[in-house]
Amino acid sequence: MDPALVIFLALFGGLTGMLSALLGVGGGIFMVPALALIAGFDQQEAQATSLLVIVPTAAVATWTLRANAIGDIRLGSRLGLLGILGAVAGAAAALALSGELLRYAFALLLVVVGVRLLIDSRSSTARLQTPEAGHPYPE
Amino acid sequence: MINVEPAAPLQEDRIPGHIPMSVVLATGIFGGFFSGLLGIGGGTAMVPMLVFLGGLTQRDAHATSLAAMILIATAAVVVYGDAGKINLIAAGALLVGSLAGARIGADLLSKASEGKLKAAFGTFLLVAAVLMVVNP
Repeated sequence: MDPALVIFLALFGGLTGMLSALLGVGGGIFMVPALALIAGFDQQEAQATSLLVIVPTAAVATWTLRANAIGDIRLGSRLGLLGILGAVAGAAAALALSGELLRYAFALLLVVVGVRLLIDSRSSTARLQTPEAGHPYPE
Repeated sequence: MINVEPAAPLQEDRIPGHIPMSVVLATGIFGGFFSGLLGIGGGTAMVPMLVFLGGLTQRDAHATSLAAMILIATAAVVVYGDAGKINLIAAGALLVGSLAGARIGADLLSKASEGKLKAAFGTFLLVAAVLMVVNP
């Protein structure tokens, strides 16, 4: 592999690792397109490589957050065990079919949830500014 | 006769905000399915479900999703690994950066306000939606 590409991937990994831990996601959404478009991997190779990177990254993030007493590891483990059933089904589906329609449907869902969160973020910022107990109407 | 149910505090120390089992089931399986299908961690699906259906704070949802992802992504790797699809050099290069980045990100998550986290995650979802459609 081209040394310049290796250096790029290390730097890119720094960015995706930070976003992954901050946002509670794997970072595959950034890594898969980068590996496919910049490194020229095919879709399955990009996804498999990305998934391998996600495991230690999420483990380091979880370890750091546990030290700060954030999150619920027991709930996370339960979700993870259930998720394994889903992941095996999903991975088998990805190897068998293109999944184009599901991708578009999921993208549409993300837009709806994303807009909802942006709206909520404004109201929860407003709530922080005026503590819900008092409401000291200035007028 | 009617008040047979034990008081709420008994359940509360098991799961903060005692999330209904149906939500735990749906979140785990749905998150896992999209992780395996799209080669992502699954947090994109799990975090909104934990916040909107489970009632977790944005911060706890992010952290809990990361813990779940360790197991989910491992299972997905095993399936893809069998198919001989992993590029170890690229994975190693990405990991050099991402392990350092993860510590910084986890510290940012510990400090950021709830409103900022919602704004950041909402923005991320919109970017993710675009990438998902553009990605060949």
